[in-house]
Amino acid sequence: MFANSTTWSLLADYTEEYAWFPEAASTFANDIDWLFWFISIVCLVFFIPIAGALFYFAVKYNKPKGEKAESNTSHNTPLELAWSIGPSFFLVGMFVLGAKSYLDHRTVPDGAYDVGVQAFKWGWTMDYGRGTFHPELHILLDEPTKLSMRSSDVIHSLYVPAFRAKKDIVPGRYNYMWFKPTVASTKVSDQRLQKAKTKMEGLGQGWDYDELQFTPDGYSFFDLYCTEYCGKNHSEMQTVVVVHETLDDLNAWIKKYSKRGPDVDPATYGEALYERRGCAGCHSVDGSKRVGPSFQESYGNQRPLANGESVLADENYIRESILYPKEKVVAGYQPAMPSYKGQLSDDDIYCLIEYLKTVSDYYTPEEPAAEEQASEDATVGADEVEPSEENEEGTDESVD
Amino acid sequence: MSTGSLPAGEIRDPGFPTRSENYLTNSKGILSWLFTLDHKRIGVMYLVGVVAAFAFAGVLALMIRLHLLQPEGALFKGAEANNQYNQVFTLHGAIMVFLFIIPSIPAALGNFLVPVMLGAKDVAFPRMNLSSFYLWVFGAIFFIGALFASGLDTGWTFYTPYSTTTDTSVILATTGAFILGFSSIFTGLNFIVTINTMRPPGMTWFRMPLFLWATYSTSIIQVLATPVLGITLLLLIAERTMHIGIFDPEFNGDPVTFQHFFWFYSHPAVYIMILPAFGVISDLISVHSHKRIFGYRFIAYSSIAIALLGFLVWGHHMFTAGMGSLTTIIFSALTFTVSVPSAIKVFNWLATMYKGSISLTTPMCYAISFIFLFTIGGLTGLHLGTLATDQHLHDTYFVVAHFHYVMVGGTLVAFLGGLFHWWPKMFGKLYSELGGRISCGIIFVGFNLTFLPQFVLGSRGMPRRYATYDPEFAFLHQMSTVGALLLGVGLLCALIVLLHSLFRGKRAPANPWGGATLEWHCTSPPPFYNFERAPIVGDPYDFTPVEWDAENDRYVTVEPEREIVPDKQPETAPAHASGDH
Amino acid sequence: MSTIEAGAESASDAHGHDHDHDHPPFLAHHFDTPEQQFDSGKLGIWLFLVTEILFFSGMFCAYAIFRMLRPDVFEGCSQFLNTKLGAINTGVLLFSSLTMAWAVRCSQIEQHKGLVAMLATTLSCAMMFLGVKAIEYSHKFGMGLLPAGLYFYNPDNPHPEGQPNYLLYICAPFALIAIGVIIWLVMSIINGNKFHTAIAKPLTVVCLSFFIGIGLGMLLESEGAESHAEHHGAVGHHDEDHAADGDHAHGDEHAAAEGDHDAEHGDEHEGENPSEADSPEASAVPAEIAATEPEGTVEAGTTESETGLLERLATDETNSGVRSELEARQRQAEVAGSAVVTDADQVSGAIASVEGEVLTQRQAGVFFSIYYCMTGIHAIHILAGIGVLVWLLVRAVRQDFNPQYFGPVDYVGLYWHLVDLIWIYLFPLLYLIR
Repeated sequence: MFANSTTWSLLADYTEEYAWFPEAASTFANDIDWLFWFISIVCLVFFIPIAGALFYFAVKYNKPKGEKAESNTSHNTPLELAWSIGPSFFLVGMFVLGAKSYLDHRTVPDGAYDVGVQAFKWGWTMDYGRGTFHPELHILLDEPTKLSMRSSDVIHSLYVPAFRAKKDIVPGRYNYMWFKPTVASTKVSDQRLQKAKTKMEGLGQGWDYDELQFTPDGYSFFDLYCTEYCGKNHSEMQTVVVVHETLDDLNAWIKKYSKRGPDVDPATYGEALYERRGCAGCHSVDGSKRVGPSFQESYGNQRPLANGESVLADENYIRESILYPKEKVVAGYQPAMPSYKGQLSDDDIYCLIEYLKTVSDYYTPEEPAAEEQASEDATVGADEVEPSEENEEGTDESVD
Repeated sequence: MSTGSLPAGEIRDPGFPTRSENYLTNSKGILSWLFTLDHKRIGVMYLVGVVAAFAFAGVLALMIRLHLLQPEGALFKGAEANNQYNQVFTLHGAIMVFLFIIPSIPAALGNFLVPVMLGAKDVAFPRMNLSSFYLWVFGAIFFIGALFASGLDTGWTFYTPYSTTTDTSVILATTGAFILGFSSIFTGLNFIVTINTMRPPGMTWFRMPLFLWATYSTSIIQVLATPVLGITLLLLIAERTMHIGIFDPEFNGDPVTFQHFFWFYSHPAVYIMILPAFGVISDLISVHSHKRIFGYRFIAYSSIAIALLGFLVWGHHMFTAGMGSLTTIIFSALTFTVSVPSAIKVFNWLATMYKGSISLTTPMCYAISFIFLFTIGGLTGLHLGTLATDQHLHDTYFVVAHFHYVMVGGTLVAFLGGLFHWWPKMFGKLYSELGGRISCGIIFVGFNLTFLPQFVLGSRGMPRRYATYDPEFAFLHQMSTVGALLLGVGLLCALIVLLHSLFRGKRAPANPWGGATLEWHCTSPPPFYNFERAPIVGDPYDFTPVEWDAENDRYVTVEPEREIVPDKQPETAPAHASGDH
Repeated sequence: MSTIEAGAESASDAHGHDHDHDHPPFLAHHFDTPEQQFDSGKLGIWLFLVTEILFFSGMFCAYAIFRMLRPDVFEGCSQFLNTKLGAINTGVLLFSSLTMAWAVRCSQIEQHKGLVAMLATTLSCAMMFLGVKAIEYSHKFGMGLLPAGLYFYNPDNPHPEGQPNYLLYICAPFALIAIGVIIWLVMSIINGNKFHTAIAKPLTVVCLSFFIGIGLGMLLESEGAESHAEHHGAVGHHDEDHAADGDHAHGDEHAAAEGDHDAEHGDEHEGENPSEADSPEASAVPAEIAATEPEGTVEAGTTESETGLLERLATDETNSGVRSELEARQRQAEVAGSAVVTDADQVSGAIASVEGEVLTQRQAGVFFSIYYCMTGIHAIHILAGIGVLVWLLVRAVRQDFNPQYFGPVDYVGLYWHLVDLIWIYLFPLLYLIR
């Protein structure tokens, strides 16, 4: 407010192409940036004379001790009224512009492309329908996008700086927001993507978005943050927004993540789910203790529970823990996990269990017959779970 | 008029107090302090307490900044790094707000000054005053207890449902805040009653120094808003222990209700923090410009206006929480109205300096810094009050920078200014002027270096309360950290200057600055009973009888030789009439 | 405690410095005149009362919000509150306000004996109030009508076995105090200490009146239970709502619920123990079923027509938001129509049963949360008032008050009237809303 973007860009920004604001990538951005600068200029119009007068008076009227003031005017009502009422006009202007723009931003246009957002400690699940869930938000260029957001634990807030859009996500109710992206993500060359993939695999720590500045699918992205403090890993509750240029491109991407491909091994897919669906945030696979127990000591292990009993971590137990995590909590841990009921398909759970088997120290592979049995179980399980999804969604939502 | 020669007339100066008069020395032993009912001693104890709390929370602030030196976190390491960071910023906020800023000016300076400025012997309820201090101590113990039990990681706002589900010691901390609320109510109640009923004859409402007006407005807020915080925290405790389900979505409650309850107190609390600062600055600017305050009534009324309007704007903390459009817009409009009275004050202070006789003493340097910093803090509030821009800036570093400009650049700087201004009165010692001015300069530079970059961080989208951040923000964060260290050095410098004066300082005259308010009419430090007999109440901002006595390095009040003509000076007549004490 | 502060301040600095010769002993050193002291105290206590009102206003706000959101729950749950007990408590408090005002008058005209008597009467009333409250609370604790998190009320079994005797726990401290006071009285009579006797005598009466309150409460509670049955006819439609929300949400099927209710119905009419017939919805069951079922079908119809539309929208696989909204709406309609049909077999895992209970907890539980918070904090204020009144009683026996100095009595009187006033608001808002 007391400096403009050019001076600041010299000081503050030596690498980035943008200075005071992140890239303007939605229809809101121009409105808001314009209003921001309008307010800032009005403020400067007041601030520069105030600061100038302040220092000028301090020097000009600085006198040795004992000198009397030149004037002892006690008040001047017209002057005081003028400077009380005068600035009010600017304030009214700011208010009206701000409120108008705000109303525009609140009214969701009809037929907006709808994505479900589930926020939890500490990650995001975007629901693209038909059982496609992914932590990244993928949307379409120049198409209004509506987010129907809910939280499964505490208050979160979804913020995309490039879109200048933000909304809290309050548990117990749906909150909605929308925006219309105007800048598309670019795609990096396959070569570069391949190179990055090899590098990341070598490091073995998952995908480093910050360092690479593109997603595992090779898209450049906009940052998406949680801005309502939500606990330990609040600052890691970030994901990315990818804006696709064409619907086909978007649909292709969605399709890629919709289901396990016919030739993908369940455990491999399970590992991808482990990374993608936020399990990795709380459960390690190397035995280290995080918010939840490590998967290294999970499958096939006899676990003591918080209520004093103990249970064998078999397939049924793992399934129950995914769907009803607060039922049987392992001793020494908080019942902090959100339910994945209605979010993981039966095949997903099956794949996760297969993956858990591979990382567990307590599992010894048996003859293949057992595995077939397991997958049969899974199919039976599917019938059980499908109808209850609706109930689950409804319950969480019943306060509005 | 010139230095050295005083005009003819009766020179009035109370001289120096004897040991038995001096409130610091008139009784000895630790118990005489712990059980004192003297408002001045209670004020001094509060001063020690809040400064200790500030030092503690300040160290926490430095830890925050040091951690943010690197994107992945520099100070805390390992699996619990984020948790440690969260606890540190929570305690920094909670201690600064509840233990330092709220009681800083009203309880520490106010307790010392209100009765003296008013011309009363004590506050109306001295024992309530002492119990208010001990409640503060108990509250502080609960906070420290929370720190040692299992920490606190909710943020100072205790938002549900996070605060009802986290396994840190929320109950201890909320109990502490509840107790501190009572401490604050007691202080406020005491001041309202004191100012209403204890004014000596001649002290009319419009002869009160503006610091008293500010304290009065603050007290109104303390009395009206704090009980709501009390019940909110009580319900939060009940929510955690019995799951009463009012704020918990799991039992059909609504977390946003908690935010409404909380901010109904905590927004007015912002004015509890800043209004006394306005009072201090009004007095400082006037005394050190040796010129009548410009627009006394506008300043006085605007304090009251801020106190009342401050109750209507709490919703602007929830612009993104999903309130109805109409509610949101109404809160935005009300938010703008509250900015007008603050603007009035800034203009009035400038007009007071215009054509004054300014001495650039340490307190005046702080006052000038205050006006500069507070104006920035106030103007950036407009960006946040405007709905559209708030959608972008809400919960980012822009907010952090904004409220630090108001709370630190405003309240803290005013507190320091007030402390330097009244230090000779409180302890009877003069400090090193040069040291004081240097500390002010370092604080000014350090503060701006810390928080200016945060405005840019915010508008670039850096969310607040992040333990780690994206690498593109690193440079600005590093700037901010360097600034914070500098700010720490400046504050340490100020502390050293003041402490040094206690041991090596020159004895302070009764009126070292040339003030005209009543506290300068009694000795430095004041005697136990403040005033031997009910003081003569004059215009608090009339500097004509105050003259510089270069020989003795002091200001004195020179009463022009009186002509025996009735009604020549009608103002002083009633005060004489009451001198039958 | 703060009340003592505000009220007592001026009084007990009496032994301070006699720095001014014309200061009477009751005038604190920093005041110039008794008038100034009295005015200060008066303003102080009024401000304190303002903070008290604001303190309660937070809870009144919570009450307003939740009553607005779920009026049916409030009206339904209010059935569980015994109007007679509430009314008798209102009467007791009103009478105590009268005696308190009288006490102020006595202190002004230096009727020392009258003052002691009036203060003791006020105290006795306060104790009786608490006695009746103890009956109310213990009764509800036993039935599981508790704040949401602890709520376990089951209409099929309103008086579960094996509950601790809450009444005993509540009475125990009072009984101990009563015994202590009686011992004190006996000792002081034996020792011939007149001052102590003069204090202990009225206090004995005060302590015993708690048990009068208990007896009164027990008497009215058993009567009240009978009278509950009479209410059913008149408030049938409210019962309907309440029962619909409270009961059917259990996650039982209609048939099952019907069965349960029939059984309960039968039980009640056998009426072995009148006080157990406290579940008001029992006799409203037929009406409720009649009302609910058609309602349920209507809801289902509208939902279906919308569903068709939304389902067509949802055919696009990307339109997941519409799909989830569709599900949400269905669910909402089910909840609103109280026709939640959740097949226990369909939803495996114990959480299903937990959810079923949560629905009652989620509704009635919040009402009782607010009930306990409001009346509980009011009761704490009564206790604080008792503390201050005892202190006044001691000073009254010491004959501290005179026409120049009666401030403390006056201030405590104001506080007592406020506590009374809050109850006068609480009573209709909680007990009389059905």
